[in-house]
Amino acid sequence: MPRAVKGVLVECDPSIKAIILKIDEDHHHAFIVEDLDEDHLVVKEAKLAELKERLEKILEKTQMMEKDDDSDPDQPG
Amino acid sequence: MSGGNIRGFSYLENLPPITFRRLYQQPATSLAIFRRMLPNLAKVIVTTLLYNDKPIPLADLEALIRPESHRQREDAFSKLRRLHIIAEAADGISLDPVFKKNFRLALTGGGSHHSFGVPCNTPDKKNVTVAFLDEYAQKKFESILHFMVGTHNDTKPGDGVIELLCIGKLMERQGKGTQATITKNGFSFLLQEGNSQIWALLIQYLDYAEDLKMEKTDVLHFFLMLGSLELGQAYAIKTLTLTQRTMLTDMRDYGIVYQRKASSDRFYPTRLATTLTSESGGLRSASQTMDVATGADKADDEGKGFVIVETNYRVYAYTNSPLQIAVLNLFVRLTTRFPNLVSGRISRHSIQEAIKMGITADQIISYLTVHAHPQMRKNLVILPPTVVDQIRLWQIEGERMKATQGFLFKDFTTAQDFEDVARYAGELGVLKWKSVQKRCMFVTRHEQIAEWLKRRAAGGKR
Amino acid sequence: MPPKRKGAIAGFAGSSAATASSKRTKPAAPVDDDSSDDYSTDSASEIEDLAPPEGAVRTKKALDKATVNAVVNRFTLDSPAVTAAPAVRTRDSVSHLFNKHDFAYLHMKPDHASRPLWINPENGIIVLESFSPLAAKAQDFLTTIAEPMSRPTFLHEYKLTPHSLYAAVSVGLDPRDIISVIDRFSKIPVPEKIIQFITNCTGSYGKVKLVLKDNRYFVESNDPAMLQRLLQDPIIGPARIQGGDAGSGVIKESAPKMGALVIPGTKNAAGTAQLGGAAAAAEKKAAATAAEDVFASVTGLGDNDQDDEDEDEDAVHSFEIPSGEVEKVQKQCLDLGYPVLEEYDFRNDRKNSNLDIDLKPQAQIRSYQEKSLSKMFGNGRAKSGIIVLPCGAGKTLVGITAACTIKKSVVVLATSSMSVVQWRQEFIKWSNINPEQIAIFTSDNKDKFRGDAGIIVSTYSMVTNGRNRSHDSKKMMDFLQSREWGLLILDEVHVVPASIFRQVVTSIATHSKLGLTATLLREDDKITDLNFLIGPKLYEANWMELADQGHIAKVQCAEVWCPMTPEFYSEYLREPDQRKKVLHYIMNPRKFQAAQFLIDYHEKRGDKIIVFSDNVYALKAYALKLQKAFIYGETPQSERLKILENFQLNDKVNTIFLSKIGDTSLDLPEATCLIQISSHYGSRRQEAQRLGRILRAKRRNDEGFNAFFYSLVSKDTQEMFYSSKRQAFLVDQGYAFKVITHLSGIENLPGLAYSTLAERKELLAEVMLQNSDAGAEEGDDFDGAKNLSYNANMKKRGAKYKRSMGRLAGVSGGDGMAGPLVWRMLLDARV
Repeated sequence: MPRAVKGVLVECDPSIKAIILKIDEDHHHAFIVEDLDEDHLVVKEAKLAELKERLEKILEKTQMMEKDDDSDPDQPG
Repeated sequence: MSGGNIRGFSYLENLPPITFRRLYQQPATSLAIFRRMLPNLAKVIVTTLLYNDKPIPLADLEALIRPESHRQREDAFSKLRRLHIIAEAADGISLDPVFKKNFRLALTGGGSHHSFGVPCNTPDKKNVTVAFLDEYAQKKFESILHFMVGTHNDTKPGDGVIELLCIGKLMERQGKGTQATITKNGFSFLLQEGNSQIWALLIQYLDYAEDLKMEKTDVLHFFLMLGSLELGQAYAIKTLTLTQRTMLTDMRDYGIVYQRKASSDRFYPTRLATTLTSESGGLRSASQTMDVATGADKADDEGKGFVIVETNYRVYAYTNSPLQIAVLNLFVRLTTRFPNLVSGRISRHSIQEAIKMGITADQIISYLTVHAHPQMRKNLVILPPTVVDQIRLWQIEGERMKATQGFLFKDFTTAQDFEDVARYAGELGVLKWKSVQKRCMFVTRHEQIAEWLKRRAAGGKR
Repeated sequence: MPPKRKGAIAGFAGSSAATASSKRTKPAAPVDDDSSDDYSTDSASEIEDLAPPEGAVRTKKALDKATVNAVVNRFTLDSPAVTAAPAVRTRDSVSHLFNKHDFAYLHMKPDHASRPLWINPENGIIVLESFSPLAAKAQDFLTTIAEPMSRPTFLHEYKLTPHSLYAAVSVGLDPRDIISVIDRFSKIPVPEKIIQFITNCTGSYGKVKLVLKDNRYFVESNDPAMLQRLLQDPIIGPARIQGGDAGSGVIKESAPKMGALVIPGTKNAAGTAQLGGAAAAAEKKAAATAAEDVFASVTGLGDNDQDDEDEDEDAVHSFEIPSGEVEKVQKQCLDLGYPVLEEYDFRNDRKNSNLDIDLKPQAQIRSYQEKSLSKMFGNGRAKSGIIVLPCGAGKTLVGITAACTIKKSVVVLATSSMSVVQWRQEFIKWSNINPEQIAIFTSDNKDKFRGDAGIIVSTYSMVTNGRNRSHDSKKMMDFLQSREWGLLILDEVHVVPASIFRQVVTSIATHSKLGLTATLLREDDKITDLNFLIGPKLYEANWMELADQGHIAKVQCAEVWCPMTPEFYSEYLREPDQRKKVLHYIMNPRKFQAAQFLIDYHEKRGDKIIVFSDNVYALKAYALKLQKAFIYGETPQSERLKILENFQLNDKVNTIFLSKIGDTSLDLPEATCLIQISSHYGSRRQEAQRLGRILRAKRRNDEGFNAFFYSLVSKDTQEMFYSSKRQAFLVDQGYAFKVITHLSGIENLPGLAYSTLAERKELLAEVMLQNSDAGAEEGDDFDGAKNLSYNANMKKRGAKYKRSMGRLAGVSGGDGMAGPLVWRMLLDARV
């Protein structure tokens, strides 16, 4: 009988996947249940929130200093 | 199904079976659910079963359905099961008896239930017109919206409403006895379309009701009954249960019913009530809600179009209305305010914050378009395309990772097994991903498949 | 020998590196510091002042930069002097969103709808409705008194700053007039705080002028009380030469007026009345008068622009001081808080020989060029200052016209020997100067001009290079430093470090200075330096307006997002060395493909394409692979000229690759498409400058755009961030950057590079082998300046890299073939 493993299907573009793989690597493979293909992986349900957070943090770096973008010379600060 | 109905359905779906049985004891409820919660195919199945006293084998029922409509078939059956309308046994499918009985009653009238409300026979001393009811409902509901945004309006909603808004986290109090202020969820609520808003409030009410030791089913009954009442008709109070009479006060506050005084012997449903379970837009559509909330329905020029969006993402709005300003602030970072102008910027941050609150890029773009300043309208394309594109791009950025909960099916012994399961899952509409090479697949729900597999293992192939 | 005249400069030589940098006060409105700028003014890295050689005109003593800053910044909107009592405000439910910037309480005038602007009392920002009938006049006025911050389509923003008010006053605006005109344009009555701010700022600046007339120096002011104050000062008073009316020692005369002065090439000039047809001219005049009537009725000011018309104010008062006291008096004025403006009464300069030069009849001055010159010559004298025009808008012609107005000897300083050649060519093209009277001073040429008056064109590095001068070079420098010049034109002032200017103004004696630039920095201290070394901003053009009028190209700007290939991205994520990370995103194969595709697409359209790369490794890799010519720092002069000539004239050469040297005024009039594949760390100026490369293109007119600018960025890398930072300036000028996420048809491009995984992996391997130096940006190229001290001391990334290049390139700027060859060998050896 085939078995069913609970998890979360993550669908993303290859760059995001690359980042997720790196996160997984850096954390003793605590996140990924199975690597499916270029655009899909299965991730542990309990770890989903944390994964999102870490992903966001890394992506933030490409939009570093969001505050600077926003910051207005007009602002009192 | 409209937004509101989807919410309603999700809510109902999660109720325990025993609640359903109690719900179905009222014909109005049975009818309402039938009307609004079931897809057409399911309705056909129900009516087919309705006057059959013996169960019908599943195969026969399915034969009624065109073979290629797998999806709809499975969807119909699935919903019927989840709403506990059908019961499945070895000899076939039948309607839940309680549902059956009361649904029949609903169709044919009769019975001593008052689930459809008892119209008043005596004429009202003061005539109540539909127009009056509409205006009343609008005013009441709007006062809730205005209160939420903090505009100074003459009529403040009743304490009960305010309580409810706080419990529903649409508003909050910083400390005991302080003024309630709107929350982020509250703003998101403001941007939703009308039917969703009403249902959102009602569902809050349902949850709240339990705390107040009100019978949930009573409450639900009342809602669903209200949905079947006729606009312009007065209905008697005396046939209502105690719970339902208590509810009347609150329903008045929402603008759902009108009662001249608390001691009146009758009440009138407003359009907000009568369209509760109907598909048609009801009293307000999305943009209408926005217009009301933002005062843009006032005929003056300023209300018509007042926002300027520049190619460098700066926003200037000719307004002094706190409501309009508050709404703009949902997705614009406002910085300066003059007596007749506010200015600010749209940025990744401001847009993504809005999206987190549940506002979509389309809503934002549509709002900016609808309220574009006359100067902007001189262009062929009203909003700067780069800004529009960027807003959408910022939304996509937040969606770069799509997550779907479910199950990974693996370890199929043969390719054929895999194929079959994949096909079935596809028919059910639960298949999200598969790989023939790896012989595994991802599905959102596994119970049906598991059942199907068991049946398959037990009996022959289907 | 005629008595040596000290350079009358309001400049301050950085006499020691220890100029008080510790107490640097920031300008009134600090914005996010563009510290990635090449020329961050870190005082500590300023160079030692080089003592001018013997026999040169003696120059002034140092005036403290800190003092200057203190004066300028004494009046900011935040300073205690300017706090007014907070008005009673009612707060409503949304007031909290605005903090201190909720001005809903302000009272609007009843006819506010017909007035075009609002003023923010907290920060001096002015918002202008550009669609108002009065907008054009208001804009003219606002550019004169405030800094333009944002000028997109509908609502523009300007900011009042101490510097902008300084500039206003220096072109002759009276503070009371400023306030009154603002008030007439404003929807709300001018807030008290702003009135105080303006009054305070303008109270100090521009009150005192130093005028050179007939070889005599006069301290002049239109405020007699001011002069009295100065005369009572213990240092200034005694310096006065006796004379003047009835013993008061003060001369009173009428204020200088433009009068009969005609700026060549302008509509007043006799010559141009013939061109364009009398009818057109008459039409223009009629329209102009109509607009002016409106203006006059609103502002109550006459049509003679903003010069003071009031009879009472028409007088100026002055007293004379001997030339030997000029420096002392200037410093004292500054200390007292009254920085001195310089004006050159060239019409009455009998001492310096005239230069016979005039504009040729066919030289047509455009309206904005005329406006800028009228600010410079508004009162018949030459004011020193800075004119800001976008690249490609004709800055050169403005400089030439100024020279033709003053008609005295001129020194022109440019950033590269290429520009020097071009300046000379332009002078000859547009003016009737005798070619023998305009000479070049570069590493290759050390001519002088014949006769008493003439023009020398040189580079900044040539005149500031202290060491290793050849004999000829020394002679030239002596020549430059031993005489007085009427006008010093400083090209591209935004590119050059302030320290260089300091040197220049102290070593060359000139009566007036004109700085030309495309982008005036507001963000760092440079503006202070520029204001005091050269002069205030005289004029700044509106980019969008110029584009709409067809003077500069309409540019479609786009940012092309190139996703990283998986293997490049994985490596990028893991690479710890910052500079090697950079290489990863520049060499992203998808970026390469995008470049290839765009080049192919635009070549087919018949465009001339320039591809920019700050990074030399990438520049060569791309260019070599695509088989296109490229120019970078090490490319010898002759090769550069050949490539550029081919680009301009040869049908077959339609794309060239340029490194950062392309930024410094290589004149490329025919480029219509610009592709940027690498641009380090985001200087806003840089992006604007690059745009200038193609802003000349005006001919083609498809879809309203006639030029294209693509910035290729690798998605999900730091490059995205830097890109948006850079675009900020352009976006505020009104440019819109379209984001292109996919180039349709790119997969089908025949010969698409790196289309197989194997090729990409090979490229990646190559990239990973590179040294981290390869990821740095190219150093600066001032011709022959590689071994200049200031370059060596520059504390920036890649500095080390540059120095070794310098050594190899040989001494005193020789750009022989040996240099690049050796360097190439060295690079190979490293790999």
